[in-house]
Amino acid sequence: MAQDGQTPPGLYGGGGHMHTPIAADAPPRRGAGTGVRGVLRDNLFKDTKNSILTVLFGAVILFVLIKTFNYVFITARWEVIYNGPLEFYMVGKDFRRTGISYEMLWAGIYTAVLAMGIGTGLGYNEESPPMRLGARLAMIGGPLVGIVFILSMTRTITPTLLTAGAGGVLWVGGQLGRRMPPVVRRRSGWILLALTFLAFGLITNFTPSNIDEFGGLLLTIVVAFAGVSLSFPVGVIMALARRSTFPLIRPLAVGYIELIRGVPLISLLFMGQFAIRFLFPPDANIPGPIFRAIIMITLFSGAYVAEVVRGGLQSVPAGQIEAGKALGLSPFTITRQIVLPQALRNSIPALIGQFISLLKDVSLLVIIGLQELLGIVDVVLARPEFVNQGYVPEAYAFVGTIYWTLCFSMSRAAQRLETRLGVGTR
Amino acid sequence: MSDQTDDNATAGSTSLNTAATVAGGTGEPIITVQGVDKFFGDFQALKNIDLVVGKQEVLVVIGPSGSGKSTLIRCVNHLEEHTNGTIIVDGVELTKDIRNIQEIRRECGMVFQSFNLFPHMTVLDNITLGPRRVRKKPKAEAEQAAMELLEMVKIPEQAKKFPGQLSGGQQQRVAIARALAMEPKVMLFDEPTSALDPEMVKEVLDAMQDLAESGMTMIVVTHEMGFARAVADRVAFMASGEIVEVGTPEHFFTNPQEERTKLFLSQIL
Repeated sequence: MAQDGQTPPGLYGGGGHMHTPIAADAPPRRGAGTGVRGVLRDNLFKDTKNSILTVLFGAVILFVLIKTFNYVFITARWEVIYNGPLEFYMVGKDFRRTGISYEMLWAGIYTAVLAMGIGTGLGYNEESPPMRLGARLAMIGGPLVGIVFILSMTRTITPTLLTAGAGGVLWVGGQLGRRMPPVVRRRSGWILLALTFLAFGLITNFTPSNIDEFGGLLLTIVVAFAGVSLSFPVGVIMALARRSTFPLIRPLAVGYIELIRGVPLISLLFMGQFAIRFLFPPDANIPGPIFRAIIMITLFSGAYVAEVVRGGLQSVPAGQIEAGKALGLSPFTITRQIVLPQALRNSIPALIGQFISLLKDVSLLVIIGLQELLGIVDVVLARPEFVNQGYVPEAYAFVGTIYWTLCFSMSRAAQRLETRLGVGTR
Repeated sequence: MSDQTDDNATAGSTSLNTAATVAGGTGEPIITVQGVDKFFGDFQALKNIDLVVGKQEVLVVIGPSGSGKSTLIRCVNHLEEHTNGTIIVDGVELTKDIRNIQEIRRECGMVFQSFNLFPHMTVLDNITLGPRRVRKKPKAEAEQAAMELLEMVKIPEQAKKFPGQLSGGQQQRVAIARALAMEPKVMLFDEPTSALDPEMVKEVLDAMQDLAESGMTMIVVTHEMGFARAVADRVAFMASGEIVEVGTPEHFFTNPQEERTKLFLSQIL
């Protein structure tokens, strides 16, 4: 409340020291008053208009906060989450059929988190400006609220301890990444790739077809991660192909991009689930439904990534390519060493937007009958103990919080990456 | 000048126009341009250009904007493709074959008006990229050579910085060092001081003068008449896609033969 109540000062009260004669010493940063009363008076109740706005906004915010608090802590019946179905939300209803132990799953999660930590650590740059305190608090605080909310639904201490452990692993990974000696750093891409494959192996018990039994949050994350990491190279290759001067390459890339962008993702998912079968003989061994969905999401997202990267490629001045040519560099080296690093750096904001939207697009899997995070809600609500008892808001509020936590974390991590790489500055 | 183009036999002639096809410097030609035309669509940017540059010669090309000066030197290392005619660099004729083009580009260092340093690499990486990727030099060797070049252009302390942290003059000197790192036989300068603040022009011209005195073959497109007078072996004047007049700086500035040259010089001097 206090923080929100200070929003008007930016608009009105911020001029506080403008009215104060400039003293010889540095004027007080905001408001001339001292103490809580002074600050309040100068920032929130400066004049009549200011006071009315403060009271009005204060009332609205108070109302929303009271209602939310009342719902979350008193009226909401969270038993639809914690009383049994939590496992469904997290890993789906058929996870046990795979025979994968939770130890194995957590080992996989830890490996993935370690890779994430090393990745962020590698991006650490001593010269980049430190984050503002507010940004730092938001980056840690936002996801923390989500995680605490999820953990509050568990009825044992183990998940909390394991999650805290994952936080520790993330920190260790970050330190490893920062201190990596140059020799290892040059091969860090391979290390991250190996860790990612190891994580995927552990999570699926080294049997990829197991993911057909996944559901809930686990399925959402696996599909989104696969979609992001596969559609990125597809998009980069297609963007380059679209600028290629070879005869057949460009029309093919344009055809792919425009075809995919011209149809909704849902129709692609339907194609992948039901139409593909007709293209193969009945006894053909085609990949499982989730693999087909991953392929379709990759194709879909790849077309959008291609356009984003093409924009980045166009932002690299022609003089850069000429300078590379004048040095006698090969076209491949010019692309790899000069054009792509600059183009991708310029594409980061739009790319993250695309990947956040991909994460949310995964919820469309519900339409082809896959029970990812959103789809699992129907499964839970169909259980006899919850069916037709008005548990819908609680279930969707819970799932929504998880989505928000994921998307917000991605957006913040991207913001940090941008500052570190100095996007927008040269 | 077209009436003189086929007349290479008169190489010893005192006519200033014929001087375009006589190599200066040591007299041994390193760049030979014969009958080169360049069209951009319907617009003819170069009209039947003949030019010979000798080893260790400094040729300064001047002329009004749009006269084809930049296009000419950009054709030499195939940043622009010439429409007709032949261009021979160090005994290799420029064809459309990419390997042939790259061979010639290795021998021609180029410095651009807008520096075109790679903003995502340090100064040192900018300079070593070419030697390491094209000449396949080991990293340590390339970096040592780069440091020597930075000493030469007098900014060794900037090696670890990024181009964005340098002044325009410093950036252009890095660009010169980057071109030199490929150990080229010819250096092409495309208006190297036009994008600089006035107080930085001198440091770049000084670096270029040092280079000229070390015996480098140079073609310099510039508007710096002082530089042309002091450093050039020959000055070429271009207008509307043609080489109007070529001569030694003394002849050129004190006793121009062509009306267009006189008019141009009267406008800028």
